[in-house]
Amino acid sequence: MTATNVKVNGAAKSSRFSFKAIIRDAGIGLALIGLIVIFSLSSEHFLAANNITNILTQITINLILAVGLTFVILIAGIDLSVGSVLAFAAVVAGKAITLPGLGPTEAIMLAVMAALLAGTLCGLLNGLISAYWGLPSFIITLGMLNIARGGALHISEAQTIYSFPEQFNDFGSASIFGIPVVFIVALVLVGIAWFVLHKTVFGRMIYGIGNNEEAVRLAGHPVFWYKVAAFTICGLTAGVAAIVYMARLNISSPIAGIGFELNAIAAVIIGGTSLMGGRGSIQGTLLGAFIIGVLANGLILIGLNDFMRQMITGLVIIVAVVLDHYREKYTKV
Amino acid sequence: MVFLKKASIALVASVALMAGSAMANDKPVVGLIMKSLANEFFRDMLEGTKEHAARRGDYELRAVGMQNETDFQSQINAVENFITQGVDIIVIAPADSRAMVRPLKRAMEAGVVVVNFDVSLDADAKKKQGVDLAFVGPDNRDGARLAGDALAKELGAGAKVVIIEGNPGADNAHERKLGFEDAIKAGGLKLIDSRTAHWETEEANTVFSNMLTAHPDIQGVLAANDSMAIGVVKALESAGRAGDIKVVAFDNIPAVGPMLADGRLLATVDQFGRDMAANSIELGLEVLKGGPQLEGWVKTPLKLVVSDKK
Amino acid sequence: MSTTPVHNQDLLESPDEEILRVESLRKHFGGVKALQGVNFSLKRGEVHALVGENGAGKSTLIKILTGVHSMDGGKIFLNGSEYQPENPRQAKAQGMQVVHQEFNLLTHLSVAENICFEAFPKTRLGLLDRNEMNRRARAAMEAIGLSDVNVSDSISQWGIAYRQLVEIARALQSKSQILILDEPTATLTDRETDKLFQIIDTIKKQGVTVVFVSHHLNEVFSICDRVTVFRSGESIITEKIADTTPEKVVSHMVGKHLELEMAHNFEAHELGEIALSADRLRVPQSPHESGVSFELRYGEVLGIAGLVGAGRTELLRSLFGVQQIASGCLLRDQSEVVFKKPRDAIDAGIGFVTEDRKEEGLILDMSIAENSSLASIEQVSSAGLMQIGRENELARKNGEVLKLKYGQLKDNVSSLSGGNQQKVVLAKWIARQPEVLLLDEPTRGVDVGAKAEIYSILRSLAREGKALLVVSSEMPELITLCDRILVLADHQIKGELAPDEFSQERILQLAYKGN
Repeated sequence: MTATNVKVNGAAKSSRFSFKAIIRDAGIGLALIGLIVIFSLSSEHFLAANNITNILTQITINLILAVGLTFVILIAGIDLSVGSVLAFAAVVAGKAITLPGLGPTEAIMLAVMAALLAGTLCGLLNGLISAYWGLPSFIITLGMLNIARGGALHISEAQTIYSFPEQFNDFGSASIFGIPVVFIVALVLVGIAWFVLHKTVFGRMIYGIGNNEEAVRLAGHPVFWYKVAAFTICGLTAGVAAIVYMARLNISSPIAGIGFELNAIAAVIIGGTSLMGGRGSIQGTLLGAFIIGVLANGLILIGLNDFMRQMITGLVIIVAVVLDHYREKYTKV
Repeated sequence: MVFLKKASIALVASVALMAGSAMANDKPVVGLIMKSLANEFFRDMLEGTKEHAARRGDYELRAVGMQNETDFQSQINAVENFITQGVDIIVIAPADSRAMVRPLKRAMEAGVVVVNFDVSLDADAKKKQGVDLAFVGPDNRDGARLAGDALAKELGAGAKVVIIEGNPGADNAHERKLGFEDAIKAGGLKLIDSRTAHWETEEANTVFSNMLTAHPDIQGVLAANDSMAIGVVKALESAGRAGDIKVVAFDNIPAVGPMLADGRLLATVDQFGRDMAANSIELGLEVLKGGPQLEGWVKTPLKLVVSDKK
Repeated sequence: MSTTPVHNQDLLESPDEEILRVESLRKHFGGVKALQGVNFSLKRGEVHALVGENGAGKSTLIKILTGVHSMDGGKIFLNGSEYQPENPRQAKAQGMQVVHQEFNLLTHLSVAENICFEAFPKTRLGLLDRNEMNRRARAAMEAIGLSDVNVSDSISQWGIAYRQLVEIARALQSKSQILILDEPTATLTDRETDKLFQIIDTIKKQGVTVVFVSHHLNEVFSICDRVTVFRSGESIITEKIADTTPEKVVSHMVGKHLELEMAHNFEAHELGEIALSADRLRVPQSPHESGVSFELRYGEVLGIAGLVGAGRTELLRSLFGVQQIASGCLLRDQSEVVFKKPRDAIDAGIGFVTEDRKEEGLILDMSIAENSSLASIEQVSSAGLMQIGRENELARKNGEVLKLKYGQLKDNVSSLSGGNQQKVVLAKWIARQPEVLLLDEPTRGVDVGAKAEIYSILRSLAREGKALLVVSSEMPELITLCDRILVLADHQIKGELAPDEFSQERILQLAYKGN
């Protein structure tokens, strides 16, 4: 043996650079601020009040889906079916809301219940099947993706359902001080999710299962039901998203939500939640949804063509996750 | 979406098998291959064709559809299954204008009368394979031009317009865009932006909201289908500009009825999709009976549907 | 690769012998000083023991030597040149091999693939040369005396003990100057340990220096040439084994004498009623209809000895409802019970300290407080809401009882040393105050000081009237701790020993009866 490596200053490896400190502390929020700065410098319309309203409206559905997905991803699962379940719930609710002989209030109430029920049911099935047989949720929810989509097409006979009560549409387009009511609904969901994840036994178990399912099971906790609950919550939020979809567009389309699951998963992952489970936060998911929404909006405002827009969106997802990786690394040691 | 593809192949195969067992009479058998039955257009067409088959009663109809618009793999399988079953006529709306040429050539060599409708097979590919096959269908470009002309007439020269495109890569999306551009040029309109919303309502709503923010001076919108036009109209309502920006679209689905009625949608184009496959079958049956071979482009009718409130 | 001439007094005095020298090595993690001035040296071809309580700095030193961590101060010389590997690959390239306490094997690959993983042999076409790979693997396994191994077998078919030997074979297969064995015997039975010692002897003769990290002083004294004692991030002393005694080493380690606590408590005490009994209880893995029958009384510490594969862990898992019993019955307070899931056993007042704390016992990314309350979440919550104050109080209280050493309750358990992690597992169950406690290898990878503390905790639990069932591979542990020892082999009880019959020889005789 001859080779010996010489390096005099061992302390040089420690992370004291201010650049690293910034990444460590600000994390994904920094990426969002960066995007906002870039877009406000390059488009006069970006910070206009009505554009901010637009952005908030546009991220609402993705944010609602991402809130539910955060629960599932925290237990190291995945739900690919949320986009299809949204369509299924929207179509079921669309059928309900257009039933003849209902007053507008009854019709809307019935539709809301129908959407929530349909979404919850799909989520419950996802959870029961994957938890009972211990099967990868990736494949079970992929199955559900097809079942729910097929169900939506079947029930609607592949027709767009329309003619909803005006009040429903009013709710979809209402805003308070420029903040869309549907976005406020999403924020309330974020708040509830934060409370549940951080202040309740259930939230503790969600993180515990994601980290070490076996330890939680051996401590006597009903892991099965916690997992089922996580998927059910995800289905429920898809139902809520379906209501927002209907209220915003005043139609139910059986081809609604194609590919939404990927945007929602991206929001959760950009927000720092690990696909391996056990690590992540709902605040991160909120930021992740904002990053995706701001990007989609800003790139159109600065006039980038569709294909460039798609490429840049992909690039930003990767950069955000890489940044988060470094943040994780520096906060650990 | 490989999984979807697999699933739809299985679907196609099983439908074809079921059909195969019921082949006992000597009526000519017609195999109808459509694109996605999730698309209202094809769904409606299937219903129309079934009615047609019942009405005539002198042919047996076997129909298959795919799960999505670009699933040509399943279409190839369907063609092969139909050849095996010995159908007399194949009527097809190709999911891919190049990939479908070779399997259809095999069908023709097997003595099957092939009628191509809805989307034309690629001329170059046909030439290379030595296939001479007529196309029966509407001229999407002409149709889009009709809608565009209506918009130009309403707005007058110099008005600023945007296009909401269909799926990039889809032939009808491309043709419609070209038609819109023809009308824009002819009418002296000014095209300030053109983006895809993948045929989808919510995406059209989002994309158009953002285009409107970037270009508040938009006066007209040309949407490549009605579903996207619905999203555009909702965006205009949210922005409080529903009356003052004019929208034209394509397809004439039932859901745009109310919008045409109150003028939120200026015009759309009906291509009588319900009858399109039935018309193609009629043509095929004529050929089978010994009539002349079809040639070139047998154009099917198109009609501009204009808002009552105009 | 540059070299720097070193002017070092000691080195000049013994130029041929010294292979590695560490001077005033320092390392801190955040505010925690892991190493604060470590000095020691290695001679070529010696077996050098590193001993010390958990958290004394052995693991950190090894991680610096193997390039996992960088140092914050001090110097290391390898063969007289300054040595500072930037990553494990560089350390390996310079002949620094390590076999970790935690295994790094790819469980779904074969033995051969695992052994050759770092450098697969390739054919001229660049494809994997399977024959050469298997040949090398066989050679590597033979070098450590295991010749009857089918190297194509998947590692997953092997027990934990054999996996350790595969790790050693893999490490030795690359060029080695220094082989670090981190707690190599923790998972081995005595027979396997003997095998390992033969292996160490062989490689020592080949001029390889072996660094032997162990909590078992008997092993240190039977195989090592020198020993360096660590305490609180400092190296306390390096002695020749011939010049010292286990008692001296222990007193260096802990700064106090532990004989009292380590000695068996022979004072006879009254046992209570039967707490738990098994009647012809057969685990699903057992080939024997008859199963096992035993009784565990309140106030009793009952030991279960046996070789790896005797069915000890399976038995405990069946008692706790992790797996169903195949036949026979289980009685709790003399009435029959059926545990379908762990919750049932917990509700019957049973706790289970599992064998593998990393896989089953702890949630490593969660805090000490959160882990401590995992099994008693209802005590620290109301109506489904967490009561963080109560949770911290519970953790603090139990931490105190168990003499847990930690920075803050909100630190992740992964930041703790092995012994303290094990105490957190105990804390988790003690929080529930179970009447019956099942313990599987309660002191694996735990240092002598913490071990003594855990023994004293367990014995005081027994004095309070709890019933304890302890599975252990360490016979001295059972002899120290238990009121009675059952010897298990091949899923059958081969014998029962009372304290006056306790001896390693007797246990082994019975344990081998099954084979």
